[in-house]
Amino acid sequence: MKFELSDKFEAAKETWAARRARYADRLRPAKTLSGLPVKTVYTPEDLADSDLEEMPGAYPFTRGLHPDGYALTPWMQQMVFGYGTIEETRQKMEKMVAEGMEGYFGHKVFNTVYDIPCMYGIDADHPEAKGNIGQCGVHMSTGDDYDELIRGWDLETTNFSMITGDNCLPALALLAAAVERRGEPLHKLHGNSMNWYPRIAVQDIPSWEPKWGYALMIDLIKWAKDNAPAWNPANIFMYGLSEAGATPVQELAYGLSWGKSIIDAGLEAGLAPDDFIGRLSFQIGCTVNLFEEVAKFRAHRRMWAKICKEAGVTKPSNMHARVHVHTSGYVLTQQQLMNNNARITLQALAAVLGGVQSIHTCSYDEAVGVPTEESHRTALRTQQILMLESGVRDVADPLGGSYYVEKLTDEMEAAAWEIYEELEASGGYRRGIETGEIKRNIDNASYEMKKRINSGDLPVVGVNRYVSDQLENYEPFRIDEAIEDKARARLEAYRAKRDQAAVDEALDKVREACQALKDGTGPLMPALVEAARKGATNGEMMVPMREAFGWYVSE
Amino acid sequence: MSQERIKVLLAKKKIDVHGRGTKLIARELRDAGMEVVYFRFGVVEEIAEAALQEDVDVVAVSIMTSGQMQVARELIPALKERGMTDVLVIMGGIIPEVDFEPLRELGVHRCFPPGLPGGVVADYIRENVGTATLA
Repeated sequence: MKFELSDKFEAAKETWAARRARYADRLRPAKTLSGLPVKTVYTPEDLADSDLEEMPGAYPFTRGLHPDGYALTPWMQQMVFGYGTIEETRQKMEKMVAEGMEGYFGHKVFNTVYDIPCMYGIDADHPEAKGNIGQCGVHMSTGDDYDELIRGWDLETTNFSMITGDNCLPALALLAAAVERRGEPLHKLHGNSMNWYPRIAVQDIPSWEPKWGYALMIDLIKWAKDNAPAWNPANIFMYGLSEAGATPVQELAYGLSWGKSIIDAGLEAGLAPDDFIGRLSFQIGCTVNLFEEVAKFRAHRRMWAKICKEAGVTKPSNMHARVHVHTSGYVLTQQQLMNNNARITLQALAAVLGGVQSIHTCSYDEAVGVPTEESHRTALRTQQILMLESGVRDVADPLGGSYYVEKLTDEMEAAAWEIYEELEASGGYRRGIETGEIKRNIDNASYEMKKRINSGDLPVVGVNRYVSDQLENYEPFRIDEAIEDKARARLEAYRAKRDQAAVDEALDKVREACQALKDGTGPLMPALVEAARKGATNGEMMVPMREAFGWYVSE
Repeated sequence: MSQERIKVLLAKKKIDVHGRGTKLIARELRDAGMEVVYFRFGVVEEIAEAALQEDVDVVAVSIMTSGQMQVARELIPALKERGMTDVLVIMGGIIPEVDFEPLRELGVHRCFPPGLPGGVVADYIRENVGTATLA
């Protein structure tokens, strides 16, 4: 930006300096969460090297993906939900629709989280599923479950976002088979597969070996491209990085590197840049550090657009970093629970000011357990109040041009490129999974932050400030343990009515297709879809996959 | 007890992806001079078996995605069956405060809310290890 130092500005600066001279050296130097230094005042001088000649909706999209921000249609309210069997979750879906949860142009959005046994790929009758069935997500493993998931919803105006783990491919196969049973073409299908294999870099859970993890991701991406082109086949789970302890700058750097690793794997598999990169999307975390988060979202869009362009993408909309924000759960405290509503409001505000496409607001009681109906509704209402009462959706990129926010955007971008380039130079994200480098750096950041909280250097109200000894004895939402019997009964009833010989044969074909994928001679997804048609369950499809693709334990 | 290094089995369910709190407490207990064995279990029986094999003083279970009551109901008898009646059993993580008393009745000596300085847990362990019983 061109800025001429005028006499008037020089005079103002002198007055400013004179007024603060007596105490200025006593001010404690501030830093962002990522450790970038923060001054008390920013001026046009800070933007001498900034490129401010940008508009929303134009490359590199710092100011937003759309020319008029949220004016045409606001962000999607994508509340995460799911518990019990599909019967309980189906009721919740209908309730959320009645509560006004909407996507773009009034479309329905269902951001459904699976329980951890399903994510891991075991059915309700597996001994290790005990204690977790239907607890922190819905237990969906059979064709019947998926029929009930989609029953009655118009496929062209409904988004099924499926928060899976390693069961990502079987889950999509089960959904596809359900759509077919309804007699509808797959190209009507809208929604997301998470395809989060690269989370293995930070999340301690057995999974596929890195080589096969990426092969499986690409297999799903290819299948979706050919069969369900409106489907979003992979999500870049930056939230997983920040919740594991990454600072906002690390989240940017490692998240973009994660995205680049999918681009690389796709190109290596022979896909053309404009054929798949535009369908990648992001889920990003958001703390209460308002300005740092806004700057992060702005820098993120710009950095991703540059990465896409460099990778050969030509269509501008394929360079869009489409972002769903999940407000950080880590910042919520069990102490003085209601305080969390203030945190969640700040987090959602940061996401909106940052111009994201979709938001999940956590509920204030998630530090205790699964949200109640009331806390979940309040979280949704927090978004709706922002949307309808606050005026924040009226103007695109309302903090654009702020000396501070523009400078911070530039600084976060520069700091993130530094980490990104270093990782790329040493083999990229895929190599980082194998060396454990990403995990080590993020674990260390988490530990440093905890030490700052323990010492009181990083204030957390109710934890290291204004502490109360009183227990709140909050009663959270309870999912009755009897749900486990119900889930097992549903599974048994489903198995009893299918043609077991046909299932066994289809699972043999899955086993062969797994080998073909490893040999590079054929895809896996069609065999999974066929197995789903014949009645194979989530857990059953995972057995041959686990045999074939290793079970990489990363600790 | 005070002369020896306290040994803690820190157990977390294998299929649970949320490891931040567990890894932090592992590090903080090590900072406090304890030996920590980080153990991922499939079924609860495995915790007791690992506790026996590792001959630990403390069994700590980290909970993030529920199941605390089921774990406690199986863990305490499994420890007793193996004659480990003098082991200190604690739990922490996303556990409702209203479950603390029912868990105590099942034999869990103490539950901790999330986000506490690890030193608080270490102090509790030091004060109680060797004196607790699973009667």
